[in-house]
Amino acid sequence: MSNTTSATPSAPLRRTRGFAGAVSPWWILLAGAFLVFFFVAPIANNLLNTDNLATLAERNPPSFYYKKLLTDAYYLKIVGVTVALSVGVTLICVLVGYPVALYLVRYAGRWSGLVIFLLIAPLLTSIIMRTFGWRVIFARRGILNDFLLSIDMLERPIMFLNGPGSVVVGLVHVLVPFMVLSIASVLRSIDPQIEESARILGANRFQTFLRVTFPLSLDGIGTGFIIVFLLANGSFVTLLLLGGGELRTLPLLIYQQFTISRDFQFAAAMSNVLLAIAVGCLYLQLRLIRRKGVKG
Amino acid sequence: MNWLPYSVSSRLPRLSLVAYMVAFFVFLLGPIFIVVAISFTTTEFVAFPPKGFTWRWYERFFDYEPFVNSFIVSVELAVATALLGGFIGIPAALAVVRGRVPFADSIMTFLLSPLSMPLIVIGFSLLFFLSALGLGVSFLSLLIAHTVISVPYIVRTVAGVYRSISPDYEETAAVLGANRIQIFFYITLPMIKPGIFAGMLFAMLISIDNLPISFFFGSYETNTLPVVMLSYLEHQFDPSVAAASSIQLVVAVIGLFIVERIYGLDAMAPAT
Repeated sequence: MSNTTSATPSAPLRRTRGFAGAVSPWWILLAGAFLVFFFVAPIANNLLNTDNLATLAERNPPSFYYKKLLTDAYYLKIVGVTVALSVGVTLICVLVGYPVALYLVRYAGRWSGLVIFLLIAPLLTSIIMRTFGWRVIFARRGILNDFLLSIDMLERPIMFLNGPGSVVVGLVHVLVPFMVLSIASVLRSIDPQIEESARILGANRFQTFLRVTFPLSLDGIGTGFIIVFLLANGSFVTLLLLGGGELRTLPLLIYQQFTISRDFQFAAAMSNVLLAIAVGCLYLQLRLIRRKGVKG
Repeated sequence: MNWLPYSVSSRLPRLSLVAYMVAFFVFLLGPIFIVVAISFTTTEFVAFPPKGFTWRWYERFFDYEPFVNSFIVSVELAVATALLGGFIGIPAALAVVRGRVPFADSIMTFLLSPLSMPLIVIGFSLLFFLSALGLGVSFLSLLIAHTVISVPYIVRTVAGVYRSISPDYEETAAVLGANRIQIFFYITLPMIKPGIFAGMLFAMLISIDNLPISFFFGSYETNTLPVVMLSYLEHQFDPSVAAASSIQLVVAVIGLFIVERIYGLDAMAPAT
C-alpha cells in the first residue's frame, strides 16, 4: 500500500540493529493503551455482555438473537445478501479498476500526477454528496431516464432507484479508487525488464500481460479485495439512500434497529455477526499471504 | 487487425485504454459535478441541468441553524481529532520503526487494526462502553471514537516516511555530540514533517466525512454535518444539501491543495 514514500514498502518492519535515534520503545504506550481501552475493550464488551445492554425492547438471552439471525430464513437471507453484495461489488471493482491501474503505472507518464489527483479527489468528497449525485442520475425524472427516453430506448421512465442495481453502482463508485491504488502500488513494483524479457522471448503483448504482468499483480488485487470487501461490508449510507430499504444488509438493519426499533440487544448481536464476517475475511487474507510465502 | 494501417493498429491498445480512462473519470467525477451544478439552480426542487444561477441555497445553508451548528461541531471535532491522534500516534509510529520495540510487526498490525473493523461495529460498541463509563453522548465521546479510527492513518503515514529516512542522520548528530532531545527536535522531527502533515490532514478529512460512527453520538449539541445532512435528506430533497456538500468539497480541496503545494501528493499516498 505505502509504496511511494518508502524504499522497501512491503518488507516487514525490522528492528534496526544500529542506532535507535532519539526514539524510546516506551513511546508506543500512549497509542497502545488508548486502543486497548477504547477499541479492544468496547468490542470485547459487546461480544461478552450483550446480556446487560440497556434496551428499550423486550429482554432476551443473547442466544435467542443469534439463533434468530442464523436460523430464521428472513435474517439468514440478510446475512447472505450482506456477503454476496460485498463480494459482487469487490469483483466489479477489480474489473473496472485494473485497466485504470495499468494505465496509471505503464502509460500515464507525465499525466500520472493528474490521474492520482483525480483518483484521490473523490475520496475527499462526502459520501452523502456522491450518493446524492447518483440519486439525481437515477431518479424517475432523472438524467438517465431523460437520456434513454430521448433516444427512444425507453417508452416510459424506469425506476432505477431503490433496487440492487443503483446500490451496486453507488458502492463501486465509492470504493473503486481504493482498488486502483492497491493494484497500482504493486504494478509499480514490477520490474519492466521482466515484461521486456517476455517480449524478446517471443510473447506478444497480450501473452505478456496474461502470463507475466497479471500473475505478478495478484498481490495488489488481493490487498484491494480485502480493503474493498471490508468497506463494502460495513457501509449503510449507500443502501439507505439508493436502496430505499429494498436491499437489506446487516449494517442497514443495525442502523434501523438503532434508530427505529431501538432493540439494542438485537443490534449488538448483528454487530457481532458483522464482526465475525470481517474477522473471517482477515483470516483468509492471512492464509493467502502465508501460502504465497511458502510458494515463493 | 491487418485491415488497419500499422501505425494505428500498434497504438490501438493504448488508444482504447485512453478512451477507457476518459469514460472511467466521467463515471468517477460526473456525480460530483452534477451535485455542484445543482447547488446553483434557481428552481425550488433538484433540477439538472440547473436553471439560472443563484447563491440562495448557500444562503439557506448559513441561515439554517442545524447546518451551521453541526458544521462548527464537525470542524472543531476534526481539528481536535487530528491533534489527539497526532499526540498519541506519532510517537507510536516512531517507536515501531526505530524504537527497538519487541514484536514490532505485531504491534504495527494492532495499531492499524481499527481500519479492518466495520465502522458501524466500532461506533455501536463504543457508544455502550462509553455510556457505561458515564461519558455517554458528548463531544468527548465523539473525540475518542474519531481518534480510534484516525490513529491508523497517522501511524501509517508517519511510519512510512520515517522508514524511508536513513538512521545515519540521527547517528551523525549523536556522534557530533547532540543529546536525545536535540536529535529529536533538530533532526528527526523536521525530517518526518511531511508524514505528520499528511497524516493529520487525512485524519481531519476522515473525521469530517465520518457518518457510521458519528450518528451513534448524535444529539442537539453533538450532531456533525454529515449526520444532519443525512436526516435532512431522509425528509427533504432540495438543493440546500447540494450546497452543503459543495462547501465541504471546497474545504477538502483547499486542504489537498495545501498538501500538494508544500509536500506533493505523494506524501498522501500511504494514507489512502
